[in-house]
Amino acid sequence: MSSAAIEVRGLRKSYGEVEAVRGIDFEVAAGEVFALLGPNGAGKTTTVEILEGIRQRTSGDVRVLGFDPDRQKMQLKDRIGVCLQSTNFPDKMRVREALDLFGSFYSQTRGTAALLGRLQLEEKRDAFYGTLSGGQKQRLAIALALVNNPALLFLDEPTSGLDPQVRLEIHALIAQLRAEGCTILLTTHYIEEAERLCDRVAIIDEGRIVALGTPRELQKAGEAESSVTILCDQTLIGRNLPAWPGATKTELSDDGRRLTAHSAHPARTLAGMLNWLEVSRIGLEDVRLSRPTLEDVFIAMTGKRLRE
Amino acid sequence: MKAYLSLIRIDLKLAFRQKVVIFFNLLMPLALFMIFAEINRTERSGGIGDVVTMVSVIGILGTGLFGAGMRAAQEREANVLRRYKVAPITPLPLLVASMVTGLAVYMPFVVLMLTVAHVRYGMNVPSNLVSVLVFIALGVTAIRSIGLIVGAVVNSTQESGILVQVLYMSMLFLSGATFPTQMFPAWLLKVSRFVPAAYIVNGLQSILLRHETLWTNWPGAAALLLTTAVGLLLSVKLFRWEKEEKLRPAAKLWLLAVLLPFALPGLWHLYTGA
Repeated sequence: MSSAAIEVRGLRKSYGEVEAVRGIDFEVAAGEVFALLGPNGAGKTTTVEILEGIRQRTSGDVRVLGFDPDRQKMQLKDRIGVCLQSTNFPDKMRVREALDLFGSFYSQTRGTAALLGRLQLEEKRDAFYGTLSGGQKQRLAIALALVNNPALLFLDEPTSGLDPQVRLEIHALIAQLRAEGCTILLTTHYIEEAERLCDRVAIIDEGRIVALGTPRELQKAGEAESSVTILCDQTLIGRNLPAWPGATKTELSDDGRRLTAHSAHPARTLAGMLNWLEVSRIGLEDVRLSRPTLEDVFIAMTGKRLRE
Repeated sequence: MKAYLSLIRIDLKLAFRQKVVIFFNLLMPLALFMIFAEINRTERSGGIGDVVTMVSVIGILGTGLFGAGMRAAQEREANVLRRYKVAPITPLPLLVASMVTGLAVYMPFVVLMLTVAHVRYGMNVPSNLVSVLVFIALGVTAIRSIGLIVGAVVNSTQESGILVQVLYMSMLFLSGATFPTQMFPAWLLKVSRFVPAAYIVNGLQSILLRHETLWTNWPGAAALLLTTAVGLLLSVKLFRWEKEEKLRPAAKLWLLAVLLPFALPGLWHLYTGA
C-alpha cells in the first residue's frame, strides 16, 4: 500500500455538458505541502472538494488517507481539516463557542485554548463573529480546520482577498505547520504563495494539470527565461550592440539607458554584458537578474495570465 | 450525542441573543394575547380559553414556519451550512437542534400566557395542564417540521418568505384559529379538514374548554406526532448544505407528503360526511 496521503488517478468531474476536471493524476506524500495553482475556474476547487468528500467525482480513482472520499465520507472528514474558500458563521456566535462546537463533531480534538493561542485569537475568544475583521475571521477558519488535529489539511485559497499584512501572517502559520510535518494541500492563484510555501506545485488549467514539480523544477523546465537588466550611465541608442551570449531577445528602454536581455543562461549573458561595458567604457549604475516566476511558466505553457 | 448536545446548546444561545427571536416568540404573542383578552373582556364575546387557543396557534405557526422555514434558507445563503458540510456530521443533529430550540423558545410563552390568563383574566387553571402543554408542544414540533421542509426545498430567502407567508396565512384562517369554523361555508369546512393547524385548534379547544385529555384527542395528537416524524425524515432527505445544490422542481412536491397525516382523516371526514 502506498504511503501517499493523497492519490488521484484519472479524476474527472462533469456538470452536465461542462467538464470541469478532465482526467488529472497526482500524488501528495505525507508531510508534503502541495499546491494546485491556476486561474479562477481552472478546476482547483472542484478537485479539492472531491478530495474532501463534499463533491462526488464522475470517474477516476481517489484515495485520501487511504479512504475513498465518495464511500467513506465520515471516516475521512473525521481525519482531515478543511479551510473553505468562503465560509461564514452567525454574527452572534462567539469565537470560543465556534471552536467548542466544531470540536464536538470529531473523535479527537485539540483544546480550544491551545488553538486560540496558536492563531493569536486569545483576545477575541469572547468576541462575536460579526465583530471580527476579515483577517481574524480567516484565522478562525484556519483554527477550525485544525480543531481535530488533522492528518491532512486542505486550504482553499486561504489568503484570497486579505490585505498583505494578514497574508504574511497566514504564510508564517502555514510555514510553521509545514515545519511540524503537517501534510497540506492548498489551492491558490497567488504565485508567491506557491513559490514560498510549497514543496511541489501542480499548475492546473481548464481542468488539466499542465505542469507538476517543485517550483525550481518548473522554473527550469519551462520555456520561460530569466532576464538580465543593466542600467547604464549613458544612452546606448546609436551604438552597435553585439549579440549577447545565450540571449534570445533584448529590449532597450526609450531613453536607451536600460537594457534587458532574456536568456536561458543568465550568468553567461551577464558576464558578456559586463565585459562589453568595460571594453566600451560605459559606466554601470545598476544590474538586476530575475529568475522566471511560476506566472512566467504558466504564461509560457498556456498563453494566459493566472488572474485572467 | 456530543454533537446533538453542542448544537442544541449553541442554537439556544443564539436564539436568546437575538432580540427579534424574543420579540416574535414572547413579546408580540403576549401583546396580542393581552389585546384580544381585553377585547374579549369588554365585548364578552367568548371565553378566555378561545383567546388562549387562538394566540397559541398564531404563535405555533409563527415559531414553526418563520423560525425554521426561513432560518435554513438564510444560513444556506450566507454560507453558514457549508462549513458544517465538511465536518463529520449528518443534517439530523442540526434539524433536531432546531426543533428543540423551537420548543425551548416558545413553551415559556405558553406558561406565561396561561399564568396571565389565570391571574388577570380569571381563567381556571386547566384541570389537565400537562395535556395542554404536551398538545401545544406536539403542535410546535409538527409545524416546525413543516418549516424545516420549507427551508430545505426553497432556493432563496425570498422564495422562503413567499412560501412561508402562503402557508402561514392559509393555515391561520382555515384552521379556525381566527374565525370560528362554524362561520365557514360547507365547502370551506371540508377544506379545513386537511389543514394541520385545524387539528391543533380542535385539540386545544377540546382539552382547554371541554376538559378532555390528550388521550381522548389521540387522533389529532397522533397526526401531529406523525407529521413531526415524516417532516424530520423528509427534511433530512432534502437537506441542502449549499445554495449551489439545486433541487429538482418535482422534489418540492415532497412538501405535500408531510400533509399526508392530515389528508387521510380529511378524506375520511369527506367520505363519512362527519
